[in-house]
Amino acid sequence: MNYELSILNNDAERGTSVNGTTCQNRSGCDGCREAEETSSRRRFLQKATTIVFGSLSLTLLPVSAGEQTDDNPADGSDGDSENQANLGSTDHNNDAEVVFGFLVDTEKCIGSGKCLTACRIENDVPEGFARTWVERFVHFKDGRVQVDLVPETGFSGSGLPTIDPDDVERAYFVPKLCNQCVDAPCNQVCPVHAAFTSPEGVELVDPERCIGCAYCVQACPYGARFINPETNNADKCTWCYHRIMRDEQPACVEACPVDARVFGRLDDPTSELSRRIAEIPTHVLKEHLGTHPKLRYVGISSEVT
Amino acid sequence: MNWKLLFARDTRHLRILAALIIVGGVGAVLLRNHFVPASYGQHGPYRGAALQEIATRPSVLQTDATCLKCHENVQEERAESPHGAVRCTHCHGIGRNHVAQARQAAESPDHPIAPAEEWDGDFLTQIDLFITHDRAICLSCHEAVVGMPTDFRSINVAAHLEDQGAEEPKSRNVCFECHEGHSPGL
Repeated sequence: MNYELSILNNDAERGTSVNGTTCQNRSGCDGCREAEETSSRRRFLQKATTIVFGSLSLTLLPVSAGEQTDDNPADGSDGDSENQANLGSTDHNNDAEVVFGFLVDTEKCIGSGKCLTACRIENDVPEGFARTWVERFVHFKDGRVQVDLVPETGFSGSGLPTIDPDDVERAYFVPKLCNQCVDAPCNQVCPVHAAFTSPEGVELVDPERCIGCAYCVQACPYGARFINPETNNADKCTWCYHRIMRDEQPACVEACPVDARVFGRLDDPTSELSRRIAEIPTHVLKEHLGTHPKLRYVGISSEVT
Repeated sequence: MNWKLLFARDTRHLRILAALIIVGGVGAVLLRNHFVPASYGQHGPYRGAALQEIATRPSVLQTDATCLKCHENVQEERAESPHGAVRCTHCHGIGRNHVAQARQAAESPDHPIAPAEEWDGDFLTQIDLFITHDRAICLSCHEAVVGMPTDFRSINVAAHLEDQGAEEPKSRNVCFECHEGHSPGL
């Protein structure tokens, strides 16, 4: 179309020929030009909406490659084993496999604190903070439930007030550490991608990228993370990633004198961990939050969170 | 297409917009390449080099196997005893320096190996290698506090010492009147 003519000749007079038609407008060619502009604007809008809606409809196509569901669990095992939690992950950011597992047997823990000193030494954990800790749950006969923290040197000689065993209905120790959740809230909230999941399914913190904002510390429902005052980075139990990648046991597992902590590979059905999980019912902490922890417990009751 | 439009006065706003978009796009790519680390995205949305950095940290604690390589007699002493589950480090310290010295002594036999010291009573002690008969170490596992599992040999100290007729119940080393560390069963 000869749009350019109507710009360059914007003072055409009535009766002048534009686009092959004779201008009928009394005040000149303004009327014709507006009609051309409107129709070209309309044409543009028509084209644009077609393109936009066309491309939007592509996003409705189902993306099936790589989705993990019950029928296709991340650890490669058959999805309907009773004692396996639903390990289906919505974390499509990386294809982390669930390779390692950790079992804590609260029926065996004697509260010796050997695991605590081992972790502190192995991972250089500053005093006042802990990557792993042991709680004691005391159910009194009058219905009260008291929760203690086991001192690192064990209860013996600690000077803490003793409890009269006659008042107690039952009591047990619960070691706690990072649950290494499949759907970890800590990894979701990190603003700089310093909190991530390794290809083996272990959640780690990149000390170079961490800015110490402590959002992950807030986000963890298990209180497993803290800000290390020496490095100003977020810190947490890594299941001794540096040890387990060399086929060693985590420091706390190595130190436990009663085998209350068990570590192993879930993808090896002959490992002690796989056998124990298959034999005994296990639980996870705060199951209702949907974090799908890889850390499993034997022997805890609903009061333990 | 009238190429004169490219330079016409009335289309200047479009050229400004196009220039901003191009400059913005190129600038964004340059900034991204500068700030985003090279290994980002290797395994996922994180700096891939971090995996190696974390995985190559040295292990500090060693297993009993390291100690038993030289101290094989302990293996025999503990053979029948439940104390086979107790780690050497629990009662004797981390022993990093000791192992390093022993490894050097294996190659050059004159290399000195520092002897074990007496324990200072601190569970987070800095002493590398110690021998002790202090009851605090025994009781850290065996004292009957509320919460112990019933199938574990826990003892009430005062009652046990009285029942067994300990000669010096107040002594720090009283456990060793009757028990031996590696095979404590009687």
